[in-house]
Amino acid sequence: MTVQASRPRPAMARPGGWWGAVTSTDHKRIGLNLGCMSLVFFLVGGIFALIMRSQLASDNGHVVSDYTYAELFTMHGSTMIYLFVAPMAIAMAMYLAPLQIGAVSLAGPRTALTGFWIWLGGGLVMQSGWFAGDGPGRDGWFSYVPLSDSQNTPGTGQDLWTMGVTLAAIGMLLMGACVLATILRRRAPGMALLRMPIFSWTALVTVLMVVSGFPALIIAMGLLFIDRTTDVYIYSGFAGAIDYQDIFWFFGHPVVYVMFFPFLGAAAEAVAVCSHKRWFGYKAFVASMLAFSALSMAVWAHHMFTTGGVTNQYFAATSTALVVPAGIEYFDLVGTLIGGSLVLRTSMLFGLGFFVQFLIGGLSGIWVASPPLDYAANDTYFVIAHFHYTLFAGSVFGFFAGVYHWFPKVTGARLREGLGKVHFVLLVIGTNLTFFPMFLVGEAGMPRRISRYPQHPGWVTDNRLETIGAGIIAVAVLVFLVNVAVSMRRRVIAGDDPWEGHTLEWATSSPPPPLNFTRPLPPIRSYAPLLDLREQVADAGPGSGGAEISQEVSA
Amino acid sequence: MALISTRQIYERLASVYLPIAIGVFAFFTLLIVLSVLRYRRRDQPSRRAENNALEGSYAALLVCVVAFLLYLTLTDEHKVDSVANHERPSLVVDVTGSKWEWEFRYPAQRIVGRSGFVGDQPLVVPADRAIRFNLASQDVIHAIWIPQLEFKRDLIPGAVEHVTLTFTRTGTFDGQCAEYCGLHHAEMTFRVRVLPPPAFARWATAHRGGAT
Repeated sequence: MTVQASRPRPAMARPGGWWGAVTSTDHKRIGLNLGCMSLVFFLVGGIFALIMRSQLASDNGHVVSDYTYAELFTMHGSTMIYLFVAPMAIAMAMYLAPLQIGAVSLAGPRTALTGFWIWLGGGLVMQSGWFAGDGPGRDGWFSYVPLSDSQNTPGTGQDLWTMGVTLAAIGMLLMGACVLATILRRRAPGMALLRMPIFSWTALVTVLMVVSGFPALIIAMGLLFIDRTTDVYIYSGFAGAIDYQDIFWFFGHPVVYVMFFPFLGAAAEAVAVCSHKRWFGYKAFVASMLAFSALSMAVWAHHMFTTGGVTNQYFAATSTALVVPAGIEYFDLVGTLIGGSLVLRTSMLFGLGFFVQFLIGGLSGIWVASPPLDYAANDTYFVIAHFHYTLFAGSVFGFFAGVYHWFPKVTGARLREGLGKVHFVLLVIGTNLTFFPMFLVGEAGMPRRISRYPQHPGWVTDNRLETIGAGIIAVAVLVFLVNVAVSMRRRVIAGDDPWEGHTLEWATSSPPPPLNFTRPLPPIRSYAPLLDLREQVADAGPGSGGAEISQEVSA
Repeated sequence: MALISTRQIYERLASVYLPIAIGVFAFFTLLIVLSVLRYRRRDQPSRRAENNALEGSYAALLVCVVAFLLYLTLTDEHKVDSVANHERPSLVVDVTGSKWEWEFRYPAQRIVGRSGFVGDQPLVVPADRAIRFNLASQDVIHAIWIPQLEFKRDLIPGAVEHVTLTFTRTGTFDGQCAEYCGLHHAEMTFRVRVLPPPAFARWATAHRGGAT
């Protein structure tokens, strides 16, 4: 009798090719897909901004109609917030946090994959409004009621916008929950919470705020959808208008920090690695992150100071208290730089650019946290300048710091340094030329969301500078895309650890294998395990067993 | 009690906040730039990773800064509220916003002005007098924004808001809707003519029962 040897079943037979890429449950693939799609939406939202800036290049512009202008500012804000910065924050957390904490895979990978597709579906539903007869959403990215009800804004486009935002929020909630579960339950042995790297901590507080803030958005939008499409009136009268704003901003303020923390973490990692020093004041930083996220759940109504419907004093107090955690970050930054050995690579430049420019956004944030000052600044270009300094001059710079830092890890190839520095310089010039004059016209009284403006002294000049700045930003982004294309086409092989990294993602191959690590992890005794090893080698000196450790480091 | 205008409060508060903001920005930017110049490419990076005493004292300093800013903000907020709500008004104007026009109705003088998409009849007020505005909206949320006063307030349908404001300078100023309210939002503008009180009294008599 012949024994028929059963053929071993391939354990992890996953489809390859493009089908494999879009159905993969690997956190790196989902993170990369999410990040790449977010970047596409960034370009789309940027084109909307360029058209708006062309319209505002003169006081009585005729580039687009008032109707189209409303569609543009609505879709610019909605695209950038729901489809670029927030999902990009989740994408970075999804890709990097499991690697940094030594996890082999994501918790709830199918849920995360589902979340990605729901989010992408939501984005496409929102953008599909451009093909509706009455155009896409046109009531701004926060679409206050009663303007956004079916009586004041009838039509399919606004319905699609409402449903698109709901879906995008559900998708991000699912993905955020999976990252949260991964960080809490899948850390490698030895990776205590207080040994997690800086970026992983920022990722943790980010997804904490995703799971606590995004349900409010889903509720606000779901109810708005019911209000618009059925006979049931949900948001009626004064109370309905205030309730909508309360629910919306209960999401809307935490999301501001969702769109900030991972980029802060990326900038901090880039700065620490390029300083050859671990991030300074780790415990204070972790405490400040937790304080930041707790406070951020209690500041929402500072968006509503002029409604007369909220307790301004309370929200002024919680908002101003954000000075403390924010101040600690800057202390830690300076502490990291002092005594380091600084290398001004592109990732370092973007990291420092993040901190310096975000300071303008943060300080103007303390300004608008004061109700008597906000009574003037609210709904003017001052506020536009403020949040673009946080989101663009801040988060987008932190994002680019992360891209230049981790691109070698993700692709195995380095980005070109020369093009990177051109990208940085152009982006600094373009950003400040675009957004700084907005403080001035805003202080002079120019409201946001107007397609034409009076010829007050300086307004045309300032607006023209902003338009030129926006053009320079566009060129800078093109330089970045060229850099990516060139670096992928003619690859400069990066190796596993091109920058002498501090954290576990640098202890595996570039790009990492499907289950992240093939070699045993180095011992984890702090938030910078690879730096620990390097210091150990240096201390041991030549010929005293240091060779073995250095072999371990370079293996 | 002398009348305090929202503009004076804004300017006083801004004159404290602005130097602090510029000072903090300059301080940190300078520190970062100096650190970059001083610590570029050295042989032996320091291994110092924390300094709890310094961090603690710094955090305490930040708490003091927050307390100071909040003291200023809350006392000034109280002043704005008392100006805005409790001053005995010498004139009452009902302001109604609708897409996309302003209606200024003077109930005692029986004068009405309309401005915005439909016309250009100004809001006329006396200087140095407390003026009660009753704010209402007929359709969506609007916001009355008068840069000269450094003040704006939302007009939310379903309720009437009351604010009492004071203009301290005579002249003609711009006003505009600040909350996006639909297609012709940009054209929902008006002018404010601030007259010396005797001139205002003559104006009110001359326009009684008519338009501004």
